[in-house]
Amino acid sequence: MNTNEAKEKLLLYRERIDDADPRFQEALAQVRRDPELAEWLREQMNCYDAIRSKLREVEPRSDLAEKIVRNQPIPFRRDWTQMLKLAAAIILSAGITAVAMTLWQRDGHRLMQGREIVVKGEVLDLTCYVAYNWSGPKHASCAMDCIKSGLPVGIKTEDGKVYLLTGKEAHVNDELADYAAKIVTVRGKKTARDGFAQIQVEEIRKF
Amino acid sequence: MSADPEFENLVKLYYRDLYRFGFSLTGSEVDAIDLTQETFYIWARKRHQLRNPTSVKSWLFTTLHREFLKICRHRKRVAHEPIDESAQNFPHVTADVVNRIDAQTLLNVLGQIDEGYRAPLVLYYLEDLSYKQIGDVLAIPLGTVQSRIARAKIKLLQLLSETKPRTAA
Repeated sequence: MNTNEAKEKLLLYRERIDDADPRFQEALAQVRRDPELAEWLREQMNCYDAIRSKLREVEPRSDLAEKIVRNQPIPFRRDWTQMLKLAAAIILSAGITAVAMTLWQRDGHRLMQGREIVVKGEVLDLTCYVAYNWSGPKHASCAMDCIKSGLPVGIKTEDGKVYLLTGKEAHVNDELADYAAKIVTVRGKKTARDGFAQIQVEEIRKF
Repeated sequence: MSADPEFENLVKLYYRDLYRFGFSLTGSEVDAIDLTQETFYIWARKRHQLRNPTSVKSWLFTTLHREFLKICRHRKRVAHEPIDESAQNFPHVTADVVNRIDAQTLLNVLGQIDEGYRAPLVLYYLEDLSYKQIGDVLAIPLGTVQSRIARAKIKLLQLLSETKPRTAA
């Protein structure tokens, strides 16, 4: 083993931690015979210790342990509560959509008479928005999944108004899923039932 | 007094080590706190699944690393400079050079190394783990651990040799 080969081996060597590792034994024997290599290794060890000390200087804030213990989740109960809340929200919004769609189909001609509007806003997954006020880019991935799975989709305009988005065709959710949490411009017919506004989408443009 | 003394003892034992690991991976205090908290909460939920209670520290490190990879997947990937595998001449960096920079500068330099290489390198420096133990924590084979640490270390030393120490304003 020449000096360069020994250096390659010893690049990973850590005093004390790797002393018993057989992979380093031959190179360490070389160190004992070669003062120049020994000097190089000493510098490497010093540099290793300096980097290690520097990384270990990092200290968490004094109340971190206490905060973690204080906020410890209660096992199972909280999870089940969350699951039940989410399930209830999904059933509720799916029910609303089903009723809305049924009425829309029954009174389709009346809805077709709605006024055409163009609105710009963020595409929302209405279930999570209504139940938890979740929206925005952080929620984009979840919103996309919810919309793809057929849950109600909406748009929140710049003035804060929220519309349910529906389409003539059943695949409106597929089209809108790609725009989850994005700002789009939607053109369509605005209708309302019992104060709940909806837009029957004619055209979607990404802003 | 906590309602769960086992949880409290575990937090007291390992929160510093986990926080340092998280901070070295992310370079961010906020992310390090989140990762540390989340790791303990995952343990609280899954402790009954832990097959070998004696390897709890290793399990905690593995979990924190998995959570870190999740963060990386959700965030915009930063393009890292490729690591030169054929680097034959090791950069000459002395302890004095390292001592002249502060911990935050070192973390910034670590942040320039690809995540897949950064994690084994951080464990190599921070913890008294053998290469096999590092491989177990990160779920990568021993040979890969060694080659990644070697390449990452060369890269780190290259970057440190180009780093100017912070001067007081």
